[in-house]
Amino acid sequence: MIRFDQVSKRYESGHEAISQLSFEVGDGEMAFVTGHSGAGKSTLLKLLALIERPSHGQIHLDGQNLGKVGRGGIPKLRRRIGMVFQDHRLLMDRTVFDNVELPLVIGGLAPAERGKRVRAALEKVGLLAYERQLPDTLSTGEQQRVGIARAIVARPALLIADEPTGNLDPQLAVEIMGLFAEFQQVGTTVLVASHDLPLIKRMKKRVVVLDHGRLVADVAAQEVL
Amino acid sequence: MSDRPDTPAEAAGRDARSRRSESRRVAGWAEHHRWSASASLGRLLGRPFGTLMTVAVIGLALALPLAFYLLLGNVQRMGDAMGQRQAVSVFLKPGQGDAAAQLLAKSIGERADVAAVTVRTPQQGMDELAAMQGFSGALHALDDNPLPYVLQVMPKDALDAGAVQDLVTALRDERSVDMVQDSGSWRQRLDALLGLGNRIVAVLALLLSLAAVLVVGNTVRVDIAGRVEEIGVLMLVGASRSFVRRPYLYAGIWYGLLGGLVASLVAVAIELSLVAPVERLNAAYAGKLSIGALPLWLLLATPVASAVLGWVGARLVSAWQLRRLG
Ligand SMILES: Nc1ncnc2c1ncn2[C@@H]1O[C@H](COP(=O)(O)OP(=O)(O)O)[C@@H](O)[C@H]1O
Ligand SMILES: [Mg+2]
Repeated sequence: MIRFDQVSKRYESGHEAISQLSFEVGDGEMAFVTGHSGAGKSTLLKLLALIERPSHGQIHLDGQNLGKVGRGGIPKLRRRIGMVFQDHRLLMDRTVFDNVELPLVIGGLAPAERGKRVRAALEKVGLLAYERQLPDTLSTGEQQRVGIARAIVARPALLIADEPTGNLDPQLAVEIMGLFAEFQQVGTTVLVASHDLPLIKRMKKRVVVLDHGRLVADVAAQEVL
Repeated sequence: MSDRPDTPAEAAGRDARSRRSESRRVAGWAEHHRWSASASLGRLLGRPFGTLMTVAVIGLALALPLAFYLLLGNVQRMGDAMGQRQAVSVFLKPGQGDAAAQLLAKSIGERADVAAVTVRTPQQGMDELAAMQGFSGALHALDDNPLPYVLQVMPKDALDAGAVQDLVTALRDERSVDMVQDSGSWRQRLDALLGLGNRIVAVLALLLSLAAVLVVGNTVRVDIAGRVEEIGVLMLVGASRSFVRRPYLYAGIWYGLLGGLVASLVAVAIELSLVAPVERLNAAYAGKLSIGALPLWLLLATPVASAVLGWVGARLVSAWQLRRLG
């Protein structure tokens, strides 16, 4: 599903956030990307969603070379990826329903079909009762779950999350990670960036460790202690 | 993702799929428009005061040229009603007798642009002068009657100033004619003024249309500036630039359409307020004056044209601003 070949990313400031990174994530696999703050976790995810472009090397997503995707092709690529952000990026003036519906509107689905899918997604994250509320009236954990519902509502083959539990207390963090594991079980490829090592260890999934933009360890799920 | 060639069954399946995906694409496109149109209308109605202000500014700006046009049309009608009944006086050369005058009157009377011709003999002219105070003494000193025959030519009602001028020129070219006096020259000046007025209306309409474009453009600019974050989120979840932009284009269309409707309503209101005074004028002019209403097509075309202006304003600004947002 994901393949990095000798990928480097140097920001305009001259700082190299990713250095000659090579790794693969298979279809339906779940992996964590971890490392110290500034290790390049967010940059790695941004390269996948073409929020940033690599300075060197190639990235393939589902067999497609992202280097060949032009400006005009970016929206289409992003529709194939569900993205979850630490600050959830919800539209605060729209209801929970409207927020989750957004990717389906962009996908051009008819209203009836949208309603069905939005409710299914909200049900999955346990927020069906909140569909008419504004995000402001929800707790941080609930807002994050709305963000996750929005990421999966269009049934993307790849789900990426950048520090999705960064603002949550440990109890909620475990619940959220559990949700990601559930999506993997129904066939979604999941890549989660997190610096919360204890939590990652509990999940017993593959762990890719970055240090100053370099891959320093790649621990298979079975080897996670 | 393999490189082997397709089997015929796979190729047929792909054709069917691509037809399906084509119709899905069209349905998706229509759905995008439906959603953008209703979403933008919802936003406009969500802040009624701001929307009202924008719509009112556009409406009043566009009502101005409509009002001028209305005024101009009615001045023109009054000119038509009062001005065409001005006779042209044709003075024959001295020595032209009664027979020549009658003959010329008959031939002029047969012209298509002439309604009536009357012949005034020198004697009639003398009598008229004699009736005027102060002249009688001087006239008695004359042996002969020095006055020529005069033909009073009444142009047809429908003639404009140019056609009357043509008639005057033709009369002047008659061999037996000494001089032609066109008492309708005030009418010519009015027509010239009306022509200037029409030009002013056109310039006004152009400038105020530009103002409408700018008003919508500025409103959309403020709207986009306040939604930078939302636009970022839309882009992240896979919205294309045209999708992001579409609600703003629809907003421009709504602003324009509503503003145009206001302009037409204001123009109709002005029209109705003119009815009573024009009726009074009409009575004074023995029923020759009536108010000329703005044509229906203009009242309907104004909102449509205004919607186009709003779209143009929104399009220019959104293109520029979204490019800046990257
Ligand atoms: N837009 C940017 N411009 C310049 N440097 C950046 C930018 N984004 C991130 N960096 C730098 O790249 C390095 C990696 O950042 P990031 O990928 O956010 O790390 P992480 O998510 O692991 O904390 C950091 O040193 C950071 O300062
Ligand atoms: Mg980060």
